[in-house]
Parts: sequence; structure tokens; C-alpha cells
Amino acid sequence: MKLNVLLSILMGASAALAQQPDQPPNVRHVIGLESVKLNANGHLTIQNGVMQFTTKKTEAKVPASSIEEVFVGTEMTQSGGTAGKVVKTAAIAAPFGSGKALTLLMRTKVDILTVVFRGADGGVHGAIFALQKGQAEPTRTQLVAAGAHTSAPQTELKDRTKP
Amino acid sequence: MKISLGLFLMLAAAALVLAQKPAAPAEKLHASAIQIELTDVGDISIPAEFRYAIYERLIEQVRDSRLFGKVYRSGDKAAAGVPDLVTLHTSLEAFDEGSQMKRELAPVAMGSTKVDVTAQVTSKDGKTLLNQKVAGKVRIFGENLGATNDLAKRITKLLQASF
Repeated sequence: MKLNVLLSILMGASAALAQQPDQPPNVRHVIGLESVKLNANGHLTIQNGVMQFTTKKTEAKVPASSIEEVFVGTEMTQSGGTAGKVVKTAAIAAPFGSGKALTLLMRTKVDILTVVFRGADGGVHGAIFALQKGQAEPTRTQLVAAGAHTSAPQTELKDRTKP
Repeated sequence: MKISLGLFLMLAAAALVLAQKPAAPAEKLHASAIQIELTDVGDISIPAEFRYAIYERLIEQVRDSRLFGKVYRSGDKAAAGVPDLVTLHTSLEAFDEGSQMKRELAPVAMGSTKVDVTAQVTSKDGKTLLNQKVAGKVRIFGENLGATNDLAKRITKLLQASF
């Protein structure tokens, strides 16, 4: 009897966990949002016609209607964050250049999303985000669906933003 | 005769020395505000994120330098009302995206990212106040986009020397 109760509690808990809303993917703000620190990590969401970037401390909102261009590109970057940088720097001292092998291992390809928009004063802003590989294109599609403008078709954009 | 020739030579040498005295330092330019325009890329192929990163880094660096009371973005309507406004234009001259992996495996020898621009400052009446070539580079460590930060720092130094 007790086992049945325990099982039902466990099943209920797992179901509750499974029903949690999907957490938006982690995104790095490279530059461009004035209220957000450079290289701050946060979540990028698009809801009710507004693009919102939220970190633990701050948030920035951009109306999709003010977005004039969205570009997608790629960039190779250092994996492992700050710890990764420390490890790689320490590896430089490794004998016979063996630390260079780490250079090959500790890297990851990220998508770069460039969102060009106009502020209330008419000034041009270029917000640049680094996303997990394969996530920039769906985000771009979401932005366009929310009302963002873009002058060039998707395929042309891909050509223009070479990896 | 010999004496008068010697005297003449001495006087001539003295006149030459006086004529070669160091030129007075060039007068510094003054402006209460600057407007930063987007980089004109012309026909050169450059990923969009580099173009907007140059622009955003310039705004960030020039603001941090506190050389000007106000730094306006391209398209900011408020800039039109500033009588002594100067405008910073950058035109892309050359771009080599390089490779982070190559430059970490063979530093300096290969893989450098390079962005060469012509930086030009004009007054409100269109007069060119400053015109100089500037290059931004990443030679060893860092993401390719880091070249935009180097470029913005160099252009800001140029402005600091002139304003």
C-alpha cells in the first residue's frame, strides 16, 4: 500500500516537471542593448509583438514593429565560459605545444543574430546576440511573424552573413 | 674675405636653425556633440554583425571617453538642433575575417582578423576636419568580432588626439 502511495507521488512529480513550460534558451548579449551589460547571459523571448531580453538583473524590450532588419550569421567561440578561458590560458604553458590541442577541443560554433532597430528618437541600434547553433533562424522567423521588418529574403541573408 | 665668408656661413646656419624650430602643436578641435554614422561598406563583403559591432563599439567607446557632451546615433533627430555638431563617418577599406582556430594554432603567422577603415570627421557645413586610415586587428586570442573593439579603441584615440 505504502509503495503504491510512493509510486503515485513520484509519478505526479514527474508529470508536473514534464508539464513545466519550456524555458527559453540561454542567449549571450554581445552588444547593442544599452540597458544590458556586454556579454550578459539571459533569455530572449518574443511575445505580444515585443522582443524581450531578460537577465537576472535587468531587461530590455524592443517593439517588433521598430525592427528594420534581422541578420543571421555564425561565429566560432570559446566553450566553457570563463573557466574555459582560464583552462586554455593555463594550457599555453604545457610542454611541446601540447596545450594547442585544447584549442581544437574547447571551441563551439554559435549562431549570431543581429537585430537592427530604431529607438524612440530615431537613432539606429544594432543588437547582437550569440545563440546556440541552429537557434537564430527560428528566432528570426518568430521576429518576422511578430511584425519585424526585413528587406532581404532569408536565403539572401544567409549568403550575406558568411560563417 | 675669408672672415666675411665664415661670418656669412655662420649667420646662414643660425637662420636655418631658427627656421627649423618645432612647429606649434596643431590646435585642437572643439565640438559639444558628435553623431556616429553606420560604417559605409561599399562593395566589400562583410558579415552584418561586424558592421553593426563596429557602430555599437564606436558609440560605446566614444561615450566612455567623455570627449563630447553628447553622442548621437545615426538617424537621431535631436542631433539636428546642435549647432557645433560633428559627424564621424567610417568607410570600410578592407576586411579579412581570419580564423580564431588558425591564429591560436599559429599565432601572428596566420588567421588574423583585420578591419581597415577610413575614419572621417566632418563639421555641420560639410567641411572635413579629420581624415585618417585606421585598422582593427585580432592577432592571437579572442573572437573574430574582437577586431571591431580594437578598431573602435583606435578611432577613439584618434579623436582624443584631435579634440
